[in-house]
Formats: sequence, structure tokens, C-alpha cells
Amino acid sequence: MRLNTRLFTLLLALLVVFVGAAAAEEWPDLSGQTVNVVALWTGDEQRKFEDVLAEFSALTGAEIVYSPTPENLATVLGTRVEGGSPPDIAALPNPGLLQDFARRGFLVAVDDIVGDLVDQYYAPVWRELASVDGKLYGVWYKAANKSVVWYNTNIFAEVGAEVPTTWEEMMEVAEMVDFYGITPFSAGGGSSWVLTDWFENIYLRVAGPEMYDKLVRHEISWTDPTVIEAFEYLKQVLGRPEWLAGGVEGTLEANHPQGIIKPFVDPPQAAMVYGADFSVSAISTETNAVVGEDALFFPFPSIKGSPAAVVGGGDVAVMMKDTPGARALLRFLATPKAAEIWASQGGLTSPNKGVDLSVYPNEIVAASAKALQEAEWFRFDLSDLVPQEFGSTAGTGMRGGFQEFVRNPDIEAITRQLEEDAKKAY
Amino acid sequence: MVQVKTWGKTKRALSFMQKRAIDIIMLVVAVFWLIPTVGLFVQSLRTGADIGQSGWWTALANPRTLTLNSYIRLLSEPTMLRALKNTFIITIPSTVFVVGIAALAAYALAWIPFKGREALFLVIVGLQVVPTQMAFIPAAQIFRLMGIFGTVQGVILFHLAFGLPFAIFLLRNFLGNVPRALLEAAQMDGAGHLLMFWRILLPLAMPAIASLSIFQFLWVWNDMMIALIFAEPVNAPLTTAIFSQMRNFASNVDVIAPGAFLQMLVPLIIFFLFQRQLVQGILGGSIKD
Amino acid sequence: MPTLTRSAAAHAGRRRDKRKHRLAALMFLGPAAIVLGLLVYAIVFTIGRSFFDAYGGYVGLANYKRVVSEPRMLVAIRNNAIWVAIVPAVVTALGLIFAVLTERIRWSAAFRMVMFMPLVISSLAAGVTFRFMYAGNPNEGFINAVIQQVVHVVKPPGLYPGGRLSVEDFAVAVDGGFESREFVQVGQQANFALAAIRPQLIPETATELRVPAPSPSGITGVVWLDFLSGGRGTRGQPDPEKRGLPGIKVEAIQDGKVVGKAYTGNDGSYAITGLAPGAYKVRLSPESFRQPFGGYYWLGRDFIIPALILAYVWINTGFAVMMIGAGLSSINRDLLEAARTEGANEWQVFRYITIPSLMPVLVVIFVRAIISVLKIFDLILVVAPEPVRADATVLALEMWNAAFGGMNDHGLGSALATILFLLILPVMLSNIRRFRLEQQ
Repeated sequence: MRLNTRLFTLLLALLVVFVGAAAAEEWPDLSGQTVNVVALWTGDEQRKFEDVLAEFSALTGAEIVYSPTPENLATVLGTRVEGGSPPDIAALPNPGLLQDFARRGFLVAVDDIVGDLVDQYYAPVWRELASVDGKLYGVWYKAANKSVVWYNTNIFAEVGAEVPTTWEEMMEVAEMVDFYGITPFSAGGGSSWVLTDWFENIYLRVAGPEMYDKLVRHEISWTDPTVIEAFEYLKQVLGRPEWLAGGVEGTLEANHPQGIIKPFVDPPQAAMVYGADFSVSAISTETNAVVGEDALFFPFPSIKGSPAAVVGGGDVAVMMKDTPGARALLRFLATPKAAEIWASQGGLTSPNKGVDLSVYPNEIVAASAKALQEAEWFRFDLSDLVPQEFGSTAGTGMRGGFQEFVRNPDIEAITRQLEEDAKKAY
Repeated sequence: MVQVKTWGKTKRALSFMQKRAIDIIMLVVAVFWLIPTVGLFVQSLRTGADIGQSGWWTALANPRTLTLNSYIRLLSEPTMLRALKNTFIITIPSTVFVVGIAALAAYALAWIPFKGREALFLVIVGLQVVPTQMAFIPAAQIFRLMGIFGTVQGVILFHLAFGLPFAIFLLRNFLGNVPRALLEAAQMDGAGHLLMFWRILLPLAMPAIASLSIFQFLWVWNDMMIALIFAEPVNAPLTTAIFSQMRNFASNVDVIAPGAFLQMLVPLIIFFLFQRQLVQGILGGSIKD
Repeated sequence: MPTLTRSAAAHAGRRRDKRKHRLAALMFLGPAAIVLGLLVYAIVFTIGRSFFDAYGGYVGLANYKRVVSEPRMLVAIRNNAIWVAIVPAVVTALGLIFAVLTERIRWSAAFRMVMFMPLVISSLAAGVTFRFMYAGNPNEGFINAVIQQVVHVVKPPGLYPGGRLSVEDFAVAVDGGFESREFVQVGQQANFALAAIRPQLIPETATELRVPAPSPSGITGVVWLDFLSGGRGTRGQPDPEKRGLPGIKVEAIQDGKVVGKAYTGNDGSYAITGLAPGAYKVRLSPESFRQPFGGYYWLGRDFIIPALILAYVWINTGFAVMMIGAGLSSINRDLLEAARTEGANEWQVFRYITIPSLMPVLVVIFVRAIISVLKIFDLILVVAPEPVRADATVLALEMWNAAFGGMNDHGLGSALATILFLLILPVMLSNIRRFRLEQQ
């Protein structure tokens, strides 16, 4: 078994080298040049991204200075542009920011730089998501499937629970797990996106993609019946402290990584946890659980017969300064190879079609990438699409509102509050 | 007589017990004061998985689980190494310039007669307690005009502005206490201000300058607020570099714990090496917060 | 004539001297004057800027009105008030107590060193440290782990923590235990189906459940784990394969008094015998189901401010101890001895001699604490997790938020900074006044 795997890996490696060689492109010699890169990845993600950058350095001889900027990325980049020192390449965490920056003239249009690679390797939706007024401004280097629920396989086995595919089945499993003696869910509500993503996944399934888009543009109110209905589903989980590991305070104290590991510590503190495919980083570095054996995920369940639906996120690499180093690095990031270096270590799902699904460290991550490619309904994370004051400013709008909902699951109050905040922001 | 004797005995016993009680209370207090630092140190020697699984004190029973891996990994990370370098690049000039400029100014305020000297000194006394917030916004604008917003120079300049009032105050008080006769003798010999400053006052002020330098160094080394605003990520010192890792508090504990300990290591070394100067400095000139 | 010449020469000399002095003053003060000039300009600018909105339009006092009307700002003001009301007093008092007690121990040097150490540590490092101290789960947070040890001595967790009734038809939960709804006659049975007990918690010796025969002189029954994997079996029914729960105390209650008890065996069965004929309530004693201590959420909304204050006290008490310690050693020993021989007790000596002589030092500590507490910033940013930051916020934090943390409103930011400045102004003026008096 083990020998086989090794042999397989070896073959795979050879294959990758072969394919890589076949598609080899001429990289310019950039020795002595420095390329400044800004993105929000820190910790484990940062290490993997630095491996990618190291490969680029090896190919071109350029020196890369990477600055992780997890807080206030938009402000930091904005100030740097104003101060006349933008980085060469930045990875923006959502299409809204890309549009904003492109309109303000912070970005270099890149059609003639990477247009060919984007057409070759990406589905049209990703070109669209990186374009403003018909011009291409970036490359979606990283995508995230945020429609997954991680679970502890051992608990499911002990309970005798089947992997749920519908919301009702998931509630049944939760009830069984609770009856068995384990808190069904965990949520790292200290990271507000965990809570807003719960809602977005439900809303996409309850109301469908067209309504989702309307809500994004605030063409329907946050007090719309579809929103209320989605909140009623949400309340079945987040409005039930006895079903959340650590109750209300424990949920809010934990941020995403602290929440995501709760089903996988010993003894487990929960059975299931909503997360994203990149949560694999936290699970594998912070627990002794083996991803693929002890820890697996199932797609976020269908509601009212909704088809395969994925709420996704991603990071788009953009060029803020037109330099030879920036051009080369942007091209490099559009190649399958750049994605494979990170993808093979886990935690990165690439929207790049050229990336072989077999490079993913295990079947489930590959499955996540596949789900992302095959989703009938695919929508970008809503909180990343709405105005920043409403979607991603600490303490107000969606970020504050959903945390308050955990404390006080009053649907009337939260929808009214969200509508008020939304009115101010649009 | 007998009774008095027994009374004395009980009294002695009582005071003995009292002494023991004080010892015990103080021991508890001391342990409480030590635990956080020890805890951070132990935590920094554990793996990420162990930290997620159990508290640091469990490692004391099982010291074999401790490892230097986190430090090795931390020091192989370019961002952290850069942050360490930045911390020195910011701290050393901020200290040298503040002490140097303050010494010159203190000399003038103490020994050069000119109009408005008293008033100027009173302004400096007042400036000591001005909150840094008062300068954030204009400084950001000025730095942008100068093209040093986000750079190390900007951070240093800001530290200079807020380090000087206290430094001048301290050194002026010290220099003011040098016996007048000493200077008058030098003046008789025809020594100018520069010579007097360099030959006589500077050597005399060395103890004050030393303790001032230590304080200024610690102040800048430990600053997070100013760096948070005026240092962009590439120029970030350790404090803000670690803080930016804290968004994902748990998934980066293996960076945060050793990083934070590394950040406090230099101050602790200074503390143990220069304890006497530190204490004298605090007692002598009061400390800025 | 010569006198005049000499006098003129002296005059010219003095003037030359004056010019020389002015030049020297300029040279020596130049660098400092430039920097301090910028600082003064900044202060004036900020005060002025506070009357304009984010886009530079004049708005009068509107920014200040926002500060005193927006809920988040009011929380900041309230929190600053709490800090000022509590912390300086606590730090000064603790410093006094520790400094006095330090004089009575032999290892005072070591104690002082331990207390001083946090003074050189950054708020960031201290904050990270306290995040580990305060974590809610007793498996992670040290403070909760200590509390857990103590609580478990008094209230040890039960054999089956968190266990509950599988169905609530026969019995209901009462005070953490489970009690039959109806009275049970002697000779009848009382069976309890429980759930939410992980099989790993059940002793190895437990076997399949067994329903015991009725006893004419008592009440019998069985307590079992109602869970079967895969949702098999009928809830509440003593199906085969379900396991008995050994070691649970079962009590027969009459008129609120426990009149008989028994423990369940390996098959979950029990028999309370020797009961007088009659009707009893049957109860599973709560102690078997008591949850372990789950920890307080120090970093939650309710405790965050005390938690922050404790961290601040940890950092700053050393300074007070040091200052007061020095003050104590400079008190005139003869005075103390004299008072003692006069018959004053230790308390009187402390109250009427020590404290008054220390007064100047105590005032310095107290005032310094007020200033530093008003400016508190990074400790909160590091220790308070994002969801409670709005509850722990202070003026300095809001100032940063307003000006740099995304809102980009320099008008509001300037107003907040100016308010902080005004709060500190009295201290500043009194410092200047005191200094002028000293100079004269």
C-alpha cells in the first residue's frame, strides 16, 4: 500500500516535471531586481506562498520581498499608492476591491501581459471576475470553496450517522450526535466571516442566485421574506447555544482556526464545523487528526432541493506597478505550476484548469476543487461583494450584526439592523 | 514574672507566625507575577498541535515534548527576520538621536543664557505628557508630503518628537546640578561652549545619559502603536509583525508565542544587565509611561 | 577717560558675549527646536482639524457632538472613566502594600526583581501572554485551570457528566438530577432511560441492561444508556443491546426527605429495599451528572474589562513598588522608633507617620497612572478578541479606528485626540506650575 503510494507519487512527480518541461516558458533574467508583493496570508499559508515565490526566484533570480498584511489591506495599499510606493504585485481578497482599485487607477490593465494564459487556463467566469469595463486586471491565483462542512469521521462512525446531503438530514445527524453526547457544531465566531458565510450558503440555497445578486446590489431589502427565511434556517444552528461548542461566549471567543479544530482535538468538543477547504491548514497543523481519515468534509447540504451550489472566495493577483519583475511574476502566478506548489501542500484550491487534480494532497481537497469547477450555482462570498463599510468593517454591518445574532438570535432585530446599516453604506 | 515570660513567648510565636504568613502571601504574589512570562516561554517551546490540545503547564510534567522547532522555523521566516532587523533599524537611531539632540538642548537650557530660556523649558515640561494621538494625523500628512510615510525614517522622526521632551527635561535637570564653579573655571581658561559641553559636561552626565538611553531604547523597542500607523508592513518591527499574525490567533500560535518571547527577550536581557541603572533612572527622574 | 573706554570695551564685550551666546544657543537648540516646533504645530493643527469633517468642510462642534452621542464612543468614554476610577487607586494601593510587606521578608531583592520585570515587557508580549492566561477552556487557559482544580475539590464532576433523560415521559429533570413525575408505589418499578453520555465514559464492567424483578418490600428498576448507534432501537424502551449504567445513586424520596437509596449495578439495575409501604418519588442523584467546571470566558463581553485591568496591574505595579520602596527607605528611622517607644502600635505608625511621609510619592504614582490609563491602547488591541473590542474600546482606540482603521475620518479622529489632550491638560498645567514653584 505504502510502496504503491510512493511509486505513484514518484510517477506523478515525473509527470509534473515532464508536463512542466513541455509547457516551459522563457523566464527573463531578473537578477538584482526586487519584486515587492503584498497579500494577506500569514502563518502556515504564508510559508506555502513563500515556497511559490522561492520557485519564481529560482527561475528568474529576482529577489522577492513579501509583506503579509492581514489587517486593513485596502487602507495599506491605498496609502502606499498615494505615497508613491505601491508594491509590484498584490493579491486582493475580493472582486469588489479589484473594481474599486481599477476605477481609481491603482492597477495596470494586464490583457497583453497575461491575457493569453488566462484564456488558456481559466473558465470565463474567472476572467469576468477579474475584469472591469471589459479590461482584464488580474489573475485569480487562489480560490476557496466555502461550502464545506468538516466533520469528525470517528464520531460519525460511533454514532452510526450517514453523511447528510440535505439540511434536514444534517439536522437529524446533529440531533443524533447530541443524543450520543457530543455537541453537534462548532463555530469560530470570533472571525465574523464564519458566521456570514453560514448565512450566505443558506441564502444562496433558499433564494437562488438571482436573488443573491439582488441582495448583493441591495436591490432587495435585508428585511425581504427570503432573507427572513434564510435566518430561520440559520437560527436552527447559530441560535441554539446548546448545540454550539462552548455556548455563546465560547463561540465568540474562538476565531476561525480555534473553532475549526474543536471537532478534532481529544476529546472532541464538537462533531461538525462549517469551514472552507483551506481550513485544512488549521486542522493539520493544530491537531493530531489525520485529514482524509479522521477529518473529512461534506458539501454544504442542499435546502429545498437546491442543486450543487458553491459560495466561493479567492485572491486575485494584480499588478500595481509596471515593472519587468511584476510582469514576470504575474505570468508565473497564472501558470499551473505556481498553483501546484501550494496546492500539493494543501490549503489552496486553484481555479486554474491546468492544475491536475491529482496534485492535491488528498482526494477530499481534490473533490473540493472539482466541486468548485462543477457547481451549478457559483457565487462569490457576499460580504466581499457589498460595500466595505457594510461587508467587512469590524464591529458594524455584517461583521458586527452576525456576532450579535449569536448573542441574541432575534431575526426581526438583526434584519432591521442590517437594513439600516446597508442603507448607510450604499 | 512567670506570666510575663509566657506572654513574651506567645508574642514571639505570634510574630513568627505572622512572619510566615507574610512570607507565604508574598510567595503567592511572586509566583503570580512570574507565571505569565514562564507560561509564554514554555508555550513557545511547544508544537502547534500540542498548544491546541492542552495547556502549557502540562508540558512541565512531560518536558520531552518541548522543542526548539518553533524558533528554528520562526528564524527561517523572511518576514520575521526582516521584522527583527527593522526593530533594530528603528530603535538604535531613535535612541542615539534622541539622546544626542537632547544633550545639546539640555546644555543650552542649563548653561547658555538667552532670552525666553525659562519659557522654552516650561513648554518642554508641558510637552512631556501630550498624548501621541495629538500628532498622528498631522504627522501622517507631513510624512506624506516628505515622502516618508510608511518608512523607517517616518517612524524614527515620530519617536524623536515624542522622546525629546522627556529626554531634555531629564538631562537639563542633571546638567543644572553640576557645580557652577567647575564651569566658571573652564570659562576662565577661555573654553567655548562646545568645548565645555564636550570636555566637562558630557563626561559628567554619563550616568544620566546611560539610563536615559536604556529607557529610550526600551520605549521604542516595545512600541506598537506608532509602528502600526507609520510603518508599512515591509518596515514593520517585531511588535506589529507579530500583531498582524494575531488575526488568526490559534493557527499561528507557533509563530506568535516564540515571536512574542523573542520580542521580550532583548528587554529582559537589558533588564538583567542594567538593573541598577534602570532602578536609579526610575527613582531619579521619574519615568515616562 | 580710561574708565569710560574700559566701560565701553566691557559693554562691547558683553554685547559680543550676548551674540556669541545667542549663536551658541541656536546651534545647541536648533535640532531640538525644529522637532519640537513640528510637535507644537501638530498639536495646533489637530485642534483645528477637529472642527472640520472627513472631507475638510467646516462643521463646528459636530465631531464633538458625535463623540458624545454615538453609542460606540459613549462606551469608549465609559470605559476610560472606569479605568481612571479604578486603576490608579489599585496600582497605588497594591504598590503600597507590597512595598511595606517587602521590607518584612528576607528575599526582598528577589521579590522586587520579579515585580519589576514586567515593566520592561511590551504591551504586545504581555498581551499575548495574557491571552494564554485567559483562554476560556480550562485545558488551555491557566487561570481557568486553577479555578477548575479548586472547584473540583468541592464539586467533583460526575461519573456521567452532561447525561440527560432520553425521553421525558416517566421522569423530568430537577436540579440537575432526574425525578419521577408520579409517585411510585412500593413493589412497582422506576426505569430511567438516559442519553448524551459518550460510551467511552461508561466503566468497562458495564453490561447489557437487565430489568430486575419487582420487590415486595421496595422499589426496583434499571437505568440504562438509551443510545444505539445508527439510531437503532426505540427511544425510552429497554431494548436488548442497550447498556446499563453502573454507579448511579438512586434515591427514594418522601415528603422531601431521602428515605432510601441504592446504587445501580453493572447491568444498570438497582433495588431500594426496606421501604415502608407507600408512595415515593424516585430520583437519580444530581452528583452523577454534574458537568466539570467549564471555565469563565475572561475574554468575553462580561469580564473583558476586569481582565484587561488585571493585565495592566501586572505590568505596572512594579513601578509603584519601586517608588514607594525608595520612599520608605528614606523615612526617618528615628521618628518611627520614637513613635513606637511612645506606645504607638504598628497601624498607628503606618497611618500617622509612614503614609504622610510617602504622600508626595503616592501622588506622583497616582497621577502617572491616570495619564497612562487615559492613553491605554495597544494592550486592548492585543488582548480583546475582535467580537468584544467594541465592548472594551477606549478613546485612544476609537481615535485610531476613526483616523486610520478604515473610517479615514480625520475630523472625528482629531476631535477624539483633542478630547484626550483636554483630559490630560490639567495634569500638564499642574506639572508646569509645580515646576515653576520649584525653580523659584
